[in-house]
Amino acid sequence: MIKKLFFAGVTAAALSASWLTGITQTQANEPGLIEFTQAEIHLILSHGPWPMAWSPDTSNRVSANRHAIDLGERLFFDERLSVKENVSCGTCHIAEYNWTDGVKRNKGQALVDRNTPTLMNMRHHRWFALDGAADSLWSQSMRPIVDPRELASNATHVAQYVRKDADLSCRYENTFGVNPAAQDDEAVLVGVGKVMAAFQETLVTDLTPFDAFRDALARGDQAAVSLYPRDARRGLKIFVGKGNCSVCHTGPMFTHGEFHDIGVSHFIGGGATDDGNKVDGGRHDGIKKLTSSKFNLLGPYNDDATRASAVKTEHVKAEHRNFGEFKVPSLRNVGYTGPYMHSGEMASLNDVVRHYSELNVDRLHTNGESLLKPLKLTQREAADLVAFLQTLNMDRAPPWRGKEYAQPPCVSNTRAKAGEDYYAP
Amino acid sequence: MRIILCAMLAGAVSAAWSCTPDLPAMQGHKPQTAESQKYALAFRTAPEKVVIGQHFVVELALCAKDGAAAPDSVRVDAHMPEHRHGMNYKTTVTGSGAGKFRAEGLMFHMPGRWEYIFEVRAGGNSGTTERITTSIVLQ
Repeated sequence: MIKKLFFAGVTAAALSASWLTGITQTQANEPGLIEFTQAEIHLILSHGPWPMAWSPDTSNRVSANRHAIDLGERLFFDERLSVKENVSCGTCHIAEYNWTDGVKRNKGQALVDRNTPTLMNMRHHRWFALDGAADSLWSQSMRPIVDPRELASNATHVAQYVRKDADLSCRYENTFGVNPAAQDDEAVLVGVGKVMAAFQETLVTDLTPFDAFRDALARGDQAAVSLYPRDARRGLKIFVGKGNCSVCHTGPMFTHGEFHDIGVSHFIGGGATDDGNKVDGGRHDGIKKLTSSKFNLLGPYNDDATRASAVKTEHVKAEHRNFGEFKVPSLRNVGYTGPYMHSGEMASLNDVVRHYSELNVDRLHTNGESLLKPLKLTQREAADLVAFLQTLNMDRAPPWRGKEYAQPPCVSNTRAKAGEDYYAP
Repeated sequence: MRIILCAMLAGAVSAAWSCTPDLPAMQGHKPQTAESQKYALAFRTAPEKVVIGQHFVVELALCAKDGAAAPDSVRVDAHMPEHRHGMNYKTTVTGSGAGKFRAEGLMFHMPGRWEYIFEVRAGGNSGTTERITTSIVLQ
């Protein structure tokens, strides 16, 4: 999971006199907009409005389908999908932990290589997994099921389980219009991936204090603007200004959804001797996995007959620089997604900010991006930046998901008429 | 998103156009132009407005100036000079004759200055390659 925060630095300027002046102006003019330039306001407004518009995934014919969402949620928490019946997707993606797990690296049947990513707002992503090895949420949802370190299952086990369980089989047929017994094992596995994706598409973060500030700024409501904490405002100014953070953490999602090397260790476990010197190739390996997968959007399981959804996959470019690159994470609810970076090696947001403040450019590719330079933040600037990041959190914890599934039992042939079985995104 | 376009020409460029690429305006959207020593270029994007993080298409027309060989093909790419990286996607270019081409698969994933690179090949295997560049700033 990508827990890396891409705070790209500009110059290593020390705390400048103009910044100090800015604070003085702010204090003298509260409430007001004077602390931000027009260019900064433009950038701030670009991080909203929230929530973003969304339409169902054309590559998944049951995206936004109510039956699919229900079945997907059941299977998401169902340990019987794993061969040992001891692990489900919900083992690592825990609602109370913002759909991650709060640990550096988790264990299914064995310890995995990367930190568990949050599932929040996943429907807005272009690539899935920290290395982007999947180009759809449904194909990504299949990957942990068959990974020997996670659910360690396979298509035959999954298909037989869904066919033999009368309730699941009924729900599958209500969703797809075909009984799983009439499909081969692989097709059922893909179906399971697609209903799980439909469920995950419903996981969306709520409005945050930043959104309230941003929307007040947009409508010129200075009284509401003034409610935004002063330290967060200073941190936001760094975020869109000298920190250049918003170059990669763009838009309402606070990510452009692509990949970068930011000088975090490529060794799995964070040390050269850990796990037998295994190296995580990141995006480099992700593209290899993507292009060789029969489950990518260029393959037979894409439900989008136009193949418009596959443009990214058709044109994605593998380059040497992709080695050690990982996906830029969304910063929404970032306060709830620690530990951070793809390896989970940074315990807190303070550690992350320190990483960018003291960035060792020698650890970047030799042809590394010139954007990355140590920010050399003062102690207060670092604290302000963290204060801003904390305003990207929902005020409340994500709602508990994971219901009792015994009742009511499935009733077959309950497929609603076209258009009636879809929920409003 | 405000888009500022500034043309940056590669190499010495003649002051006057010696040919006019055949790319008419579409729905009031006037093509952007650039040129090199041997070629003149007109292009437009679809959609018209390039949005950060969204794939788009470039439709372009080339013409050869006096004495230059007609273009055989064109490679279309883009990069961010200040960031020292390019796009994460490679384009597919198809020609429809008469110097017209269509490039698919472009995507600018970051704000800042992007430089389009049009590499015009002409004269067959023993021919020449000439670069035309022009920049766009995405905010």
